[in-house]
Formats: sequence, C-alpha cells, structure tokens
Amino acid sequence: MEERQSKTPLKKILDFVGGLITGNPIYKSIFRVGYPNTLLKRMAVMRSSFYMHIFPTKVGEHGLKLRYSWCMGGITFFLFLLLSLTGILLMFYYVPEEHRAFSDMKDLRFMVPFGIILRNMHRWSAHAMVLCVMLHMMRVFYTGSYKMPRQLNWVVGVLLLLLTLMLSFTGYLLPWDQLGFWAVTVGTNMASATPLMGYEGPFHELLGVQIDNDIRFAIIGGTRIGANALVRAYVWHCVGLPLIATLLMVFHFWRIRKDGFSGPL
Amino acid sequence: MEEQVRSDKSGYMLMNKPGYPRVSSWPNLIWIIFLMMLFITIILWGVSFLAYAPLEEMAEWAKTPNPAKAPWYFIGLQELLVYFDPWIAGVMLPQQILIGLMLIPYVDVTPTEQGNYDFRKRRFAVGFFTVGISFWFLLIVVGQLLRGPSWQLYWPFIDYDIGSGTWVREGVHLKEGGAALKSLPLGTGLALIIGFATIGMVLPLIVTKLFPNSKKVKELDYYLKELGYIKYFVVQSHVMMMVGTFVKIILRLGFNVKYIIETPWFKI
Ligand code: HEM
Repeated sequence: MEERQSKTPLKKILDFVGGLITGNPIYKSIFRVGYPNTLLKRMAVMRSSFYMHIFPTKVGEHGLKLRYSWCMGGITFFLFLLLSLTGILLMFYYVPEEHRAFSDMKDLRFMVPFGIILRNMHRWSAHAMVLCVMLHMMRVFYTGSYKMPRQLNWVVGVLLLLLTLMLSFTGYLLPWDQLGFWAVTVGTNMASATPLMGYEGPFHELLGVQIDNDIRFAIIGGTRIGANALVRAYVWHCVGLPLIATLLMVFHFWRIRKDGFSGPL
Repeated sequence: MEEQVRSDKSGYMLMNKPGYPRVSSWPNLIWIIFLMMLFITIILWGVSFLAYAPLEEMAEWAKTPNPAKAPWYFIGLQELLVYFDPWIAGVMLPQQILIGLMLIPYVDVTPTEQGNYDFRKRRFAVGFFTVGISFWFLLIVVGQLLRGPSWQLYWPFIDYDIGSGTWVREGVHLKEGGAALKSLPLGTGLALIIGFATIGMVLPLIVTKLFPNSKKVKELDYYLKELGYIKYFVVQSHVMMMVGTFVKIILRLGFNVKYIIETPWFKI
C-alpha cells in the first residue's frame, strides 16, 4: 500500500506501459520469462533464449573487467557479423567479372544510394578486424589463457587468425583496381617460391614443376592474376572462407563455454 | 574438465572455487556487449562518412606501380624480401611463425599461471613473444611508411625529387642505390651457419654448467629440466630462427652480405 502511494505519476505510466509490453501474450510467447527483475528470472532469461544461451547464466566478476579482456574477442566477432551484413549487401551490386568489377565499384561510389557508405564500412571493418584479432591474440597470450585446459582453443584461434588474414587478402583483389591487383600479384608471387612446389622455389626441377603447373598456378588459376583469379578470390571470399571461419568460431565459442572463461589462479 | 583443472600443479582455478564472486550475466554482461556493439557501429559509421575506401585506376597488367605493396598485414614479409629470398621470407618464415604460435601451449612449461597480467613466473615466454610481435609490427611500419619507389628508404619528412623516378636518395642514382653486395665464400658461410646452430643449441646448457651457483641460472636450469630434450629443441630452434633473422639483417645492412650460403639450388 505504502509503496503504491510513493509512486510518482511518471513511474505509474512507465509501469503501465511496461506491463502492456512484457505482460501481453505475444511477448510472453517469444521471451517466456517476464521482465527479468529478480535473479531467478535473470538466469532464466539466459537459459531460455536461443541466442542468449551461448553465454553462461552467471559470470565471474573478474572476467567482466574491460581491462582484463579488452573485449577484443567479442569485438572481432561483432566485426565479423558486420562484415557479413555489409558483404551480403555489396554482393547485390558487384559481379566478379574482369570487365565489370571495376565499373561496379564506380557505381557503388556514384550511383547506388549509400553505396559508398556500404563499401567504406566493409573496408574499414575489415582492417579493424585484422587489427582486433591480433590484439585479441596478444591479450590471450599475456594473460596465459592458452594454458591447460585451453590449448586446443588457442590452436583453433591461430587458424582463425590465418582465416581472417586470408579473408582480407582475397577481398583486396575484388575491386579490380591497381592497388588490389598488384598487392595480390606481389602476395601470390610468394607462392611460386615454395620449395619443390613453386616454379621459382628451390629444387622445383625435381618434380618437373613449371610456371603452368606449380602451386601458384593452382591457387590463381593461371600464370598471372586474371579473370580466373578474380572468380576464385570471389568464391573463397564470399563462400569458402566465411563458411570455414564460421565453423571454427562455433567451435571456439563452444570450447570457451566448456572450459570456462579464464580466471586468476 | 573439473578433473583436469584440479590436477594442475598449482591447485584450483580460483574461478572454480565455490566462493568466487559471480554475477548474473543479465544484465551485467549483456549490457557491456550491447554498448560495445553500439560503440563500434557508431565509430565505423562515422569513419565511413569521413574516410573513403581507396579505389585507384582500373587494374592493368602493363602498368606496374613502383612500389607495388602488399596489404599492410603482409607487408612485414615483403619487407623481409630485402634480406631473404622469397622461399624464406614468403614461405618458410610465415609457416614457422604459424607452427610456432600453435605449439606455444604445448611447449610452455612455466607454472600454469593464468588469468592475470602477472609475468614474474613466465619471463622468458613473455619476452620471446613480445620481441617477436614488436619485430612483426616494426617491419610493418618500415614497409608501409618508409619504403618508396624501388623499395628504397624514404623518410616521410623529407621532400624527395622523384619525379623522374630515377633518384633514390638525394644525389644517389637508382643504379648506384643497389650497392655492391657480395655473398660469403661457401666454406665461411657453412661454418657460420653450423657454428651458429651449434652454439645456439648448447649455449643455455653451457651457461647452466658454468655458473651453477647463480640464482638466475638455477631458475634456468630448473626450467630446462622441466622442458626436456624435445620441447627444448622445438623452443630453441624457433628462438634461433628469430635471432638468425636479426643476424642476417645486420650482416646485410652493416656488411653488405648478400647471401650467407650461395649454392646453385638455394641461397640463404
Ligand atoms: C576470428 C577470430 C576470433 C574470434 C571471433 C574470437 C572470439 C573470441 C571470444 C568472443 C572470446 C571470449 C573472450 C574474449 O572476448 O576475450 C575468445 C576467447 C579466446 N580466444 Fe578467441 N577469437 C578469435 C581468434 C583467436 C585467436 C587468433 C586466438 C589465439 C591465437 C584465440 C584464442 C582464444 C582463447 C585461448 C580464448 C579463451 C580465453 C580465456 O578463456 O581467457 N582466439 N575468443
């Protein structure tokens, strides 16, 4: 009774509106638990939601501190989501064809509404993701979080680092401008120096490796970057690598749940 | 899982103890995640309005830019091309870096200290990793910011006259820029590499024998015993790979050595 009297009109209105939202059958059919204002309900919220239940119901205070985790793994993952979203939208406007790719970039710049914002976001998020994944690795190393029982997750992490670099690198070629074209030329030329398997590598004569059957040829589908390399970069960039990365991330997160987030000894 | 954690030498993980302070994820964790997502989105959105993604002229095979640079995260490897042949800079070193990273958890025998930024018990591991990472970023900075036409050093604060593309440094012509480099004689080179490998491998062992009473050395001795021969070999060969990279760079910059070993099949 007393409580009721002390309520201000504003609070009353808020309570009423809040009740309308969280009390109605549609809301309840989706979220099941009502407004989570008790510990029990808060834990139930985490457990009963498909998306939330990748998180534990309770977390150690220690791990929550920003100065501990720098939030870097989470930011890396969020950037991956952002990149997937902007990437799918970019795919509407882009065709990986030697004579068309570049003009599609120009269209994004001058014709597509907000196209340039889309492209800029995709580009800067990609650079940020590469940086964040390196910082995340440093955080994990310096806190010693790769030690037992998390050894395997560290190895998966290194694979994710490699995939992030490959994703960024394949994307670099797609605009089909001088910058990406030559960067990817320089990068893939390194493959031709692979011992035994590259046509400029040591001991390549032993296997009869030449410019048109070496490992670089297999990667770029030609003796130099051209239409084939563009399609390959596109398919790896938009389908192959994201698929593998997603699988590894699912595993990465599952292991974190199983091992628990690292805490002090 | 509990079993594994419990069997650690150092006992329990604090966070698995019953009294460890815990809070409900909703809202304590969720709001951090939410704010973080909002923050990152706003920042990127803002940056995307201000800074445009680069788009140069259309790709053309006949027009090689000078210099043609790899993306920044690979430019460290490209920078190493100055000092090594591509099969080392572009293939062996990156491969060993990746393998070495993946092996870290399996060769690190320092006490299972984790979950904090306390480095006292893992000085060697932290030192090695820090030097490696700094080296990686240093190469990126040099390659990205200080390298210009013909991959020569350019200081960003000096105005060079490179209109014709023939000047490297003020008064120095491109052709002269590639100063006379020579390789070591095969015998010297072989002796150098074998000597380096042997000394590198046994030096820590010798140190423990020479000064058995120093406290630091006792720590080292204990650490080496924990490692055992196989892990020691793995760790030390990676340490020497990194030191060797420094040595080659010094030989090149200070003594104009092109290759330490030059054979018709491979050159180091
Ligand atoms: C696409 C790349 C990656 C994503 C999206 C990702 C995501 C995450 C997230 C969200 C966490 C939770 C804790 C945190 O935010 O710090 C985490 C933890 C962890 N990550 Fe990653 N990560 C990636 C790459 C890596 C890399 C490159 C490594 C190491 C080489 C790594 C090793 C680990 C380990 C060992 C943990 C557990 C840490 C602990 O319990 O303290 N991850 N990761």
